Amino acid sequence: MGVEVMWEKTHLRVLDTGLRRAAENIALNRTLLECHQAGDSPHTLRFLRFTPCALVGFHQNVEQALRVDHCRAEGIHIQRRITGGGAIYFDPGQIGWELYVDRRFLGTAHMGEIARRICEAAADGIRRLGVDARYRPRNDIEVDGRKISGTGGAFDGNAIMYQGTLLIDFDVERMLRVLRIPAEKCSDKAIASARERVTNLRALLGEPPPLARVQSALAGAFAEAFQVELVPVDDLNPREQPHFAQALAEIDREDWVYQRHRPAGGMPLLEAVHRCPGGLMRAGVMLDEARDIIRQVWITGDFFVNPRRMLVDLEASLKETPVAELEANIHRFFDAYRVEMLMLSREDFLQVLRKALDSRDPASTRAQTHAAG
Amino acid sequence: MGAVKGCDLPETLLYSIDNNVWVRREADGNVTLGMTAYACALAGPVESYTPKKAGKEVKKGRSCATLESGKWVGPAKTPISGEVVAVNEAVSASPGLINQDPYGQGWLVKIKPADWDADAVDLKTGADALTAFQAKMDADGFNGCA
Repeated sequence: MGVEVMWEKTHLRVLDTGLRRAAENIALNRTLLECHQAGDSPHTLRFLRFTPCALVGFHQNVEQALRVDHCRAEGIHIQRRITGGGAIYFDPGQIGWELYVDRRFLGTAHMGEIARRICEAAADGIRRLGVDARYRPRNDIEVDGRKISGTGGAFDGNAIMYQGTLLIDFDVERMLRVLRIPAEKCSDKAIASARERVTNLRALLGEPPPLARVQSALAGAFAEAFQVELVPVDDLNPREQPHFAQALAEIDREDWVYQRHRPAGGMPLLEAVHRCPGGLMRAGVMLDEARDIIRQVWITGDFFVNPRRMLVDLEASLKETPVAELEANIHRFFDAYRVEMLMLSREDFLQVLRKALDSRDPASTRAQTHAAG
Repeated sequence: MGAVKGCDLPETLLYSIDNNVWVRREADGNVTLGMTAYACALAGPVESYTPKKAGKEVKKGRSCATLESGKWVGPAKTPISGEVVAVNEAVSASPGLINQDPYGQGWLVKIKPADWDADAVDLKTGADALTAFQAKMDADGFNGCA
């Protein structure tokens, strides 16, 4: 190891693995991460695309996250990522970008800080295409409050892989038919709500930019941020090839895809409505019951806040919040956020979320349903 | 209790500096393993924990549990080869215990060592461990545990 010039921290190999099945793309994740850790791969930027597929996060259960019957009927492949986070839908309208580097390459070993540095560089790359992309902690890149790129990472010792999607063209309804939440509860509202929260390059620019331009914008931004020279290559190196064949044999199997990591226990979507002097507020809370962690919240309704994007920022900041820390997290958010609200206070947000959580108790479910009706 | 840059590192435990884990040999000969406070500070709040199953053989330098925090997934690596004899059900139910009590309730696995004497040679303890963690933190550009 260490004999080729590309191993140097001053170079970043650029690899475009083209349009592939999900199993091949995930096997390549494992291959490149493990080979990097073993010293058999240089620092690498990889671009990838997927035939239609639904990808669950490493710790998710497929049946909880996806509508399996719909995926099968539509020929949408189901796979498990080696990175964390939630389920996503992927088709040729999106491009994936991935960095394989090590902690020292980025000058920090702090995982949150690594995510921030990479996402800020990716956002700069997306801005070069003519849209005002910004990093939104912890793991998103957005344009005017709408997500355009979601990200996640995996590590093995000092080697890290960090990956993101970039929505070039995207069909929100198709995504919602694949994912188990939140569409099954309230489909019209869910579509409208997802449309408010997601955007893509075609919608922003009028037409989708050519893939080559997208790749060169991202690669240029990463090269600048990390002060490296780009080294384009056509294929995996000879040490990576056999590793890929082995990884694919292990990943292109149902026992990998359908393994169950989460303990039994549901992931209900709890909903509530809160009427207050400032208006009407609706909230949805996706609760990991086994662990008492709020995975995600949605807040909509008829009330005045400025900027309006405060809602999506609040939603982002409440991801993965233990129920016991909900109140503290809401206070932390509002203490740091400048927002104008009309006859509304942070207590209203806390109340509507608490009400949704209280609907877990069967005794209060009837009252909540009545209020929502 | 020992500490480096605000991170607790009890001097009675044995540490694998590379893997950023602690181990303790128990009276029955088995080994309890967990993340250091430093590893917890780098990872942030742990949200999921999947240990290797009890009965499974684990090799030195390989994964004994997979953890997720802030959309990051990765292994905790054992410095001791052997058989997993216990996993932590309390952490399964509440992975945040790892951050709250890394040297107590937040342990990751218990291992029956295959060759304790051979593997323990690479572990550090006491002042040696603190010095080694200081150097690791400096190399990692780490500012300190909050």
